[in-house]
Amino acid sequence: MRRFLAVLVGALVLGGVASAQPFVWPQKWTVAKPSEVKRGGTLRAAVISDYRTFNPFITAEAGNVPDLISGGRGLVMRDPTTGEWIPYMAESWTISPNKLEITFKIRKGMKWSDGKPITADDWITTWRIHTDKAVGSNSYDSFFIDGKPITLKKIDDYTIRFIYPKTDAEAFAVASFTPWPDHIFGPVYQKDGAEGIKKMWTLNEKPENVVSGGPWLIESYRPGERLVLKRNPAFGEWNKDEAGNPLPYLDRYEIKIVKDTNAQLAEFLAGNIDVMAPATVDHISQIRQAIQQGRLDATIKLNASPVASSQFMVFNWNKASDPFKQSLFRSDKFRRAMSHIVNRQAVIDIVYGGLGTPMYSSVYPVLTQWVNPKVPKYEYNLQQAAKLLAELGFTKKDKEGYLVDSKGRRLEFNLSTNAGNVQREQIAKLIVDEAKKVGVKVNFTAIDFNTLVGQLLSSGPDRPFDAIIIGLTGGGLDWPFGSNVVPCKGNLHMWNKSGQCLDPRETQLDALYSRGRTELDFKKRVEIGYRMQEIEAQLLPVIYIAGPNYHPAWNNRLGGEHPDAIISSIWGQRELELTFIKK
Amino acid sequence: MTAYILRRILYLVPTFFGATFLAFLIIQLAPGDYLTQLELDPKVTPETIARLRAQFGLDRPIHEQYLLWMHNLLHLNLGYSFAYQAPVLDIVWPRVVNSMAIVVPSTLLLFLVAIPVGIYGALRQYSLGDRVISFLAYIGLAIPNFFLALIFMYLILQVYFRTGVMVFPVSGMTSSGFEQFDPWKKILDIAWHAVIPIIVVTTSDIAGFSRVMRGQMLEVLSQDYIRTARAKGLAERVVVYKHALRNAVIPFVANIGGILPGLISGAGLVEVVMAWPGITPLLLDSLQQQDLYMVAGFLTIGLVLLMVGNLLSDLLLTWVDPRIRYE
Repeated sequence: MRRFLAVLVGALVLGGVASAQPFVWPQKWTVAKPSEVKRGGTLRAAVISDYRTFNPFITAEAGNVPDLISGGRGLVMRDPTTGEWIPYMAESWTISPNKLEITFKIRKGMKWSDGKPITADDWITTWRIHTDKAVGSNSYDSFFIDGKPITLKKIDDYTIRFIYPKTDAEAFAVASFTPWPDHIFGPVYQKDGAEGIKKMWTLNEKPENVVSGGPWLIESYRPGERLVLKRNPAFGEWNKDEAGNPLPYLDRYEIKIVKDTNAQLAEFLAGNIDVMAPATVDHISQIRQAIQQGRLDATIKLNASPVASSQFMVFNWNKASDPFKQSLFRSDKFRRAMSHIVNRQAVIDIVYGGLGTPMYSSVYPVLTQWVNPKVPKYEYNLQQAAKLLAELGFTKKDKEGYLVDSKGRRLEFNLSTNAGNVQREQIAKLIVDEAKKVGVKVNFTAIDFNTLVGQLLSSGPDRPFDAIIIGLTGGGLDWPFGSNVVPCKGNLHMWNKSGQCLDPRETQLDALYSRGRTELDFKKRVEIGYRMQEIEAQLLPVIYIAGPNYHPAWNNRLGGEHPDAIISSIWGQRELELTFIKK
Repeated sequence: MTAYILRRILYLVPTFFGATFLAFLIIQLAPGDYLTQLELDPKVTPETIARLRAQFGLDRPIHEQYLLWMHNLLHLNLGYSFAYQAPVLDIVWPRVVNSMAIVVPSTLLLFLVAIPVGIYGALRQYSLGDRVISFLAYIGLAIPNFFLALIFMYLILQVYFRTGVMVFPVSGMTSSGFEQFDPWKKILDIAWHAVIPIIVVTTSDIAGFSRVMRGQMLEVLSQDYIRTARAKGLAERVVVYKHALRNAVIPFVANIGGILPGLISGAGLVEVVMAWPGITPLLLDSLQQQDLYMVAGFLTIGLVLLMVGNLLSDLLLTWVDPRIRYE
């Protein structure tokens, strides 16, 4: 009888499991085995800026509350060990033969934290609200390709179809958007439209009214001070580890808002916060010292990877008022010479305290699959720079030691960056010094960020700057080239904003960009990316300099971090779902 | 007197409009706007930015924006924050309350300590005590608040490393698990967190304040009427506290108007360094992001309080200084 009951219970459980179809978080994503895992406890972290809203449709800052509670996940997610898209809230998908439609089967048995099932309607409503102009969602642009909308269609409660205006490398990235509950937002949207949506889930909303489909629920929020999240039990019903334990393991996730990084460091050293990614050499060495002297039981991974951002110098090709400078800035020989005067090692040593990575291409070094290793690098070489400048006719020097051409015109330009960015200011000063060694006069000024952006993004035949040092972030694993940067009409095509391609290689890049963006085969896309980097290297539209590295640190009371091979600025140090407290 | 007060309140109206317009204009003079940051995001199209700009009304001429804002203000609506997408007052008010937890005790402490210290210094000029106090005051004046806060944080950490005891918290306003505490424990917890910030804010203020108090007292004590008072045989206590002190505090009474807005304007960089969720970190963020109505709204609150405060201090002056009569 007992045995029969056991079988019966087993069958019921199995039946339950079969209809809940849990997503099993792979063992290879963490160093911990399910057997060593402990349940409960609180993970404590700190962030620099305050949270502004709980509303997923109007939130704008990175690391916002809706992303936190939902885990930022949708139908598909990436496997950090391979970078590939895998089904997550979807259980499978089919791609139409013309590759313009992807039909997702939604995983059954998923529930919102208030107990309602997660279905196709949730995706449809979320998409509708994101693409309503009057809402002003930050995700608006991601639902368009070249201005043409991507549409969603509900087939049945658990089937949804994405229809793309053209084939797109980032098709899955679009499909990975986070759904929000239709039963909460749908009625308000129908009744009051965008204005109704904007008034929902402000910071004054009671935490228990904020419904989540992800790992966390809001427990409490004290403005400017602390956000406390608690485990969402509904999430654990369909998210399991390989031993079948519900996730996340943690009871709570507490995030302090600490605006000053010195105070963050102090909290980490005192053991009051568990995770940190120190950015300065001083902070890193204080953490290492504390660990070595046995005052802090923690781990720090130095130089885990470069960060996904770029620092570069860009010359203005549109200077109708000064034809001499314009022709100079448009000459690839000149730009190559300028690349040769950038002492990237000195930048790393002096600006990043030896903890940085040199950059030579628009693809961030951390995106290793995308970096074409054969692309020529115009490294620090003053002789080479002098030789190239001589070829441009700058052979003589004037009384002050600066190069002049046959007409006596001095090789001189203005360089600016945003005041207050100490690292960029230091880079600029290094460039001034090195340029002087070959006889180029660089006049550096630091100016207000918004003024700088205004100059950089101004358009037309005559723009008000010579050269600017600035950086960009963003750009993904699917297609690392910026949709605003590469095309000649792009808003961030910073070197040439005349509105048309001026150099045949710009035209080539423009065409390759469109081809790559619509190529679905990853290998072929990488080949196109390689080709683009080769052309970029010849053209050198901007001169890449160097960037800092990522150095994650954590208190050893935490377990469940990523294996070393996947700790990077892309994948971070851990999956929160698989993180646990050891003691 | 009533007529005077009414007249004063009437004068406040043009002052208010002039000052708010000036504040609005100055904020707008800064290059760029709230959406400039977004322009360097490779994922956002210029069309989207233009659309948002129109939605926020940032594409309209300044005077139109001002009139719209004034219209809202007259309906007691301080405006809408771009970053929070919420009414300014909702965001600002809890922060003001947090700041007051430091500013009010430290203002009280300031008066309690600085006035006696200043009087002592004046009565025993160049004595050992006076020199020691002067020396400490100069140190207090010389060390910036944020740096003093960092020193305290360093010391707390060193004590913790050597003894394992957290004498005071490193930063923040409440401990983990604060929400579960009972009311008494909540108050104690905030008080425990507030000790260091209050000390930091008060020390530098005491230094300056007591110096001015000492100078004022010395000046008054050298007046003829004090000599007369002493000559006619009044007790020294009466001379000092009834005659001298009353005249020495006149400049402070005249400055009471500044205390009122000071109460809501926060404790400055100490709040940033020590992660105190007061008004300063919020305001700095808003300034940096050019969250127009947030800054303008906050300035307006400060402005109103300053005007009310000035009126109050003028009225107080008639009480302290018999020479002043408004009729």
